[in-house]
Amino acid sequence: MIRAKVAFTISGMNPPLFGLARRQFLGQMTTGLTGVALSRLLARDLVAATARPTHFAPKAKQVLQIFCPGAASHIDLWDYKPLLEKYDGTPLPGGETEVTFQGKNGNLMKSPWAFAPAGQSGKMISTLLPHLAGQVDDMAFIHSMTSRTNTHGPGCINMNTCFAREGFPSAGAWLSYALGSLNENLPTYIAIQDVRGEPPNGKANWGNGFLPAEHQGVTLAAQQPLRNLARPSSIGAAEDKATRAFLERINAEHAAMHPGSDELQARMASYELAARMQLTAPEVCDLSREPQHVHQLYGTDDRNPLKAAYARNCLLSRRLLEKGVRYVSLYCASRASAVDGLLNWDAHKTLKADYDRHAPIFDQPTAALLADLKQRGLLQDTLVIWCTEFGRMPTHQEGTTGRDHNPDAFTTWMMGAGVRGGVSHGATDDFGRRSVQDVTTVYDFYATVLHLLGLDHERLTYYHNGAARRLTDVHGHVIKSILA
Amino acid sequence: MSLRTHRFLFAVFSVSLVSAWATAAEEVDPAGMAFFEQKIRPVLVEHCYECHSAQAKKLKSNLFLDSRAGWLKGGDGGQSVIIPGDPENSLLIRTIRHLEEDLEMPPKKPKLPDAVIADFITWVKQGAPDPRTATLGEARRADKSWWSLQSIARPAPNKGIDDYVAEKLKEKGLGLNSPADPAALIRRMSYDVIGLPPTYAEVQAFVAAAQKDAEAATRELVDRLLASPHYGERWGRHWLDVTRFGESLGFERNIIIDDLWPFRDYVIQSFNADKPFDRFIIEHLAGDVIAKDNPAIEVASAFLVAGPYDDVLNQDLAAKKNIRAATLDDMITATGGAFLGLSFNCARCHDHKFDPIPTEDYYRLRAAFEGVTHGRRVIASAEERATHAAAVAAPTQRKVQLEREIEALDQVIEARALVELNQFLPIRPKVDPRLTEERFPAVAARYVKFVIRAHTGKPRQQNLGQTRLVEFEIWSAGTKPRNVALARAGAKAAGARSARAEDFADAYGPQLVIDGEYGEQWFVGIPAELTITLPQVETIDRIAFSNAKGGALFKDAAINGSSPCEYAVLVSVDGRDWREVASSAGREAWTPGHGVERFRAAVTTREQAEALAELRRELDQVQAQLKAVPKLREYWVGLHQAVPEPTFVHKGGDPMKPLGSVPPASLAVLDRVTPTYELPVDASEGERRLALARWITRTDNPLTPRVLANRIWHYHFGIGIVDTPSDFGFLGGRPTHPELLDYLATRLLENGWHLKPLHREILLSRTYRQSSAYHTEAARTDKDARLLWRYPLRRLDAEQLRDTMLAVAGKLDRQMGGPGFRLYRFTQNNVSTYFPLDEPGPETYRRAVYHQNARASIVDVLNDFDQPDIAFAAPRRAQTTTPLQALTLLNHRFTLDMAAAFAAQLTGSTAETITTAYARVLQRTPSVIERTAAAELIAQHGLTAFCRALLNSNELMFLQ
Repeated sequence: MIRAKVAFTISGMNPPLFGLARRQFLGQMTTGLTGVALSRLLARDLVAATARPTHFAPKAKQVLQIFCPGAASHIDLWDYKPLLEKYDGTPLPGGETEVTFQGKNGNLMKSPWAFAPAGQSGKMISTLLPHLAGQVDDMAFIHSMTSRTNTHGPGCINMNTCFAREGFPSAGAWLSYALGSLNENLPTYIAIQDVRGEPPNGKANWGNGFLPAEHQGVTLAAQQPLRNLARPSSIGAAEDKATRAFLERINAEHAAMHPGSDELQARMASYELAARMQLTAPEVCDLSREPQHVHQLYGTDDRNPLKAAYARNCLLSRRLLEKGVRYVSLYCASRASAVDGLLNWDAHKTLKADYDRHAPIFDQPTAALLADLKQRGLLQDTLVIWCTEFGRMPTHQEGTTGRDHNPDAFTTWMMGAGVRGGVSHGATDDFGRRSVQDVTTVYDFYATVLHLLGLDHERLTYYHNGAARRLTDVHGHVIKSILA
Repeated sequence: MSLRTHRFLFAVFSVSLVSAWATAAEEVDPAGMAFFEQKIRPVLVEHCYECHSAQAKKLKSNLFLDSRAGWLKGGDGGQSVIIPGDPENSLLIRTIRHLEEDLEMPPKKPKLPDAVIADFITWVKQGAPDPRTATLGEARRADKSWWSLQSIARPAPNKGIDDYVAEKLKEKGLGLNSPADPAALIRRMSYDVIGLPPTYAEVQAFVAAAQKDAEAATRELVDRLLASPHYGERWGRHWLDVTRFGESLGFERNIIIDDLWPFRDYVIQSFNADKPFDRFIIEHLAGDVIAKDNPAIEVASAFLVAGPYDDVLNQDLAAKKNIRAATLDDMITATGGAFLGLSFNCARCHDHKFDPIPTEDYYRLRAAFEGVTHGRRVIASAEERATHAAAVAAPTQRKVQLEREIEALDQVIEARALVELNQFLPIRPKVDPRLTEERFPAVAARYVKFVIRAHTGKPRQQNLGQTRLVEFEIWSAGTKPRNVALARAGAKAAGARSARAEDFADAYGPQLVIDGEYGEQWFVGIPAELTITLPQVETIDRIAFSNAKGGALFKDAAINGSSPCEYAVLVSVDGRDWREVASSAGREAWTPGHGVERFRAAVTTREQAEALAELRRELDQVQAQLKAVPKLREYWVGLHQAVPEPTFVHKGGDPMKPLGSVPPASLAVLDRVTPTYELPVDASEGERRLALARWITRTDNPLTPRVLANRIWHYHFGIGIVDTPSDFGFLGGRPTHPELLDYLATRLLENGWHLKPLHREILLSRTYRQSSAYHTEAARTDKDARLLWRYPLRRLDAEQLRDTMLAVAGKLDRQMGGPGFRLYRFTQNNVSTYFPLDEPGPETYRRAVYHQNARASIVDVLNDFDQPDIAFAAPRRAQTTTPLQALTLLNHRFTLDMAAAFAAQLTGSTAETITTAYARVLQRTPSVIERTAAAELIAQHGLTAFCRALLNSNELMFLQ
């Protein structure tokens, strides 16, 4: 028997229901409950969702993360830099000898797209994103993000786990661990990969790290059903049912002969849950239940197959959130390819061509998803966070019309539950080379996310190999200016 | 959403552990303590300790800020520098706010940020909670008197395992269970020792023998199991968890490593041979030093490079240094955890917060590994090297000679070709890779062929695959010329390509040259021909081609690869009759070398041609001969280089901020109990590792034998005496049976570091052989049976489960060793992708320990059942129960295949098949109820359905 050790730092209360399924806590009690009472409680808990208490009243209950891997350029999408336009083609002051990820850089290069004011707030946003421009009044931009790494794989996992190396739990896994499930019939944490493939560093982005495996993100997408969910085609429904009935029977016999073993009960219950998941998940994933006008809004029938595929995943995200999936990670684009900038936002050589390819895939479906969430009232409980691993240089990469990696400045945004819309936090310098005002880290970002979910990022801990680990490592401050 | 089973709960109040030892009486404010730990302590450490702590080289003002007592007592002023609750009058606050003249703190440095000062004020207002004191009772961190850092206590004479266990049980009014019934015992022992179920015959034989003489039968069973080669597979797998052994690089590229398996085989063989563990450890750290050219041992030091490794090239200096620091950190962490059970990585940025490990200790370890890098090298015996050298000597010599003769002849020919070239007057400029145009009289064409005969790379280089092209245009004649070759206008491009990207079918393809964008390149393949088909016949008079990424108009556009420089353009209306309309003829040659090639054929005499052909024929033979000599094998065992500079302590773990240097030396954390050593700064690379290895394996190093003894206990009982097997520090668990642990460690040393005698002693103990029967009363006192009033119920782990399914289905391939099998499909472009295998075939039917465990890959069944992803060492596995496990085990192709194979082997009447099936899966006869139910299922849905159910059963999954 191997037991995971749970270390929670709790203030002002006795050790804790917190962080444990209730029945496990009960299982630890050494007094007061007889075996009978215990097993009855246990049975009841097994059918109830295992939502767990927060540190304080939460603003949000669920998270939708939209991740554009490849380092989506802040200065071509969100971060308006008039001086970059003015000084286009001149050297970046102080940057002449700068060597970044792929090598030397040329002169400043203005964005190929104009910026224009949008919404009531008049936020300047790239004309490359006409649909998302309609959402800026609900967004809180963080323009002063910084990363510890300039490499995609470590960058992506850094944006998801706060560590630039593998082995740490992603934010979704932490939330699964801290808050549990809102709907036992579906996975708590779902990662939706782009049709073009997995993001840099693949499943480490939604991994459980050292948390128990149950907290890992489960991959599922419109183009890819849950693994092993469906009854194999070679087995008929009646056979499946009879087989499982027989299994239940022999397990019950066995359990009766070995009283006092929670593990046996738990495993029997897991088969019941699996059966319910088999009923629920296909229904939630069946996009044909949506009316035609909704499909049109998202663009699921677009002529561009990549856009249509992403649009379907956007629609799927909404359906999953509606059904109480705690954390949905939605990816738009995939990992680095030998063909720079083709499969994701990594525009090293030909920025214009690359983003003319990626932005239309991203823009309309995402805007439709946000509008739909709002219209259905889901934003009251759902926090939306938009992420990428780092930013891009304001200069062009020597010999190209693209931009190299820039870990010193990038933009993310949040919207929805608990977030003040139409605001911007922090700023980069005149050209977007570095974050200079209210410099923000991924620790601050997730301190804020946890805060909105009712968790103190300094108190959410888990013991592993000699340390009480946190999502935010030993850093992080809540970004107060973007809270509603 | 899922159901974790059995979890040992303990809460941490701030930094103190609530454990059997902690005094729960302390009234501390956990939030305040957390605030102190997060906001205050790091600042004190960084800005104040240099002058105001026990470690200060020169203590200033006699003020200590490294303990509560220190600031309460105050410095030379004689008054508390902090008045809890009153920041205004606290001297410390006033000095950091720069309100006290000549006492601005920290001195000669910028004022602390306002936010930090605000934190201090908040902290003082809260009453300045500070855990750094001994007066409140329980230690807040370990010092050198910590239990695990003490010498191993000499055990009392005549006491054995059962005595120590019984003693602890008795204190709680408990006792050992009665012995397990023989059938349960043999099943438990088989899984525990060899990882496989016993056969029904073995169970029956053992039950019969145990009825006669339980002691003798058990003894015989233990001996048989320990002698099985499957023992090494089972216990080797445990050790691979501890050593974070993985067979891909991890990180962004996650390239697969195909030649690390010899380390896995080495581990298995060492366990089977019962190699003394001190020797085993030395080989891990310095096998190449003590046994150079002895492959069986040299591969052991692959341990150091078996962890994740970031191989992405980075041009940024700070990033490079950080990556190297992280690479060494993996070796340090792995070594500290596996052998010493301490988390040294916490001391990378500062002195360990909870254990007495100074940051220098971390860098002393780094000094030992400073010369180790990841990579592969030849592993061969001296004899193999000599044989190889002898086999290649003569052909190599002949090869050199032939190449020289060919070159001499070529020089003669080329000299003559050069004369011809010099007489040739180019009438057109050389090609421009950025943009080259050819004009020709207007001609009707539907098909245009571009034949590339040479490229701007080295002349005579046959490999046209270096050639690339960004864009190719065909212009219509007339006053309004159009590029008619655009794909969007309906043109098609065809041609071979020399590179592929599995993730993107069109990558590198010829269609890229007619996309109208100066972006991606066509990687020209062989034959080096581009054929463009226009949507209809057009009258054309010009073509143009460019290899400028970013567009020919940009003067800094990039030319990647080589470009076509000798070519012909052919046109056709029907695709059958071709006519050449343009070529590179008349252009200046790209280089004189390229020019020479134009005339080579013409100036070569027949004799010369024949002589060259003959020489080349012989050269081919010699090269074939050389190729036939088996290569010395290279393996991923790491490279070792002299260490060019001293190892520096990095301030805050930042490699760009070196502080003082440290020599390769023993670790201060054990300097009270284990003799120290210090090597000179210029000690050789191998010496450094060997000295460390010898120090780790000294018999007076208390950690190594204790940690090892605990691991053995941990795997036998599912939980260790210390439940954090790689962490014997302050945050780790405390031993439930400290005396027993020291007894086991002592036995280990007495046995000369051999494991098998210790296994035997444990397996034969009454503690191990007791039943797992549950008692409500005992469970009230000790729910998790940490005191071992029963043998704890255990779920099969991932490997046991998969191996069992193969075994009962009669499909287990018991072949040992060699390259592993894969449960994923692997593709590699710039980075790697692992796709789970949906239909694992018979080549995957070996024991799971032989699975090539790539990092961050999805491996069905194994991952579901908690086989860890090995980014870190996994000294203890999680044990979860989830609906996804149920789905996998019900529906995955592997289950279906195993159920079918199992069913196919069951013959006879239904009653007979049921009997056989129960015997194979559960090693018992079915009850009447089970028989009836099974018969009904079989009658309605067949044997396979019955087998599928049995493979999912709890009785299979759990060990009593």
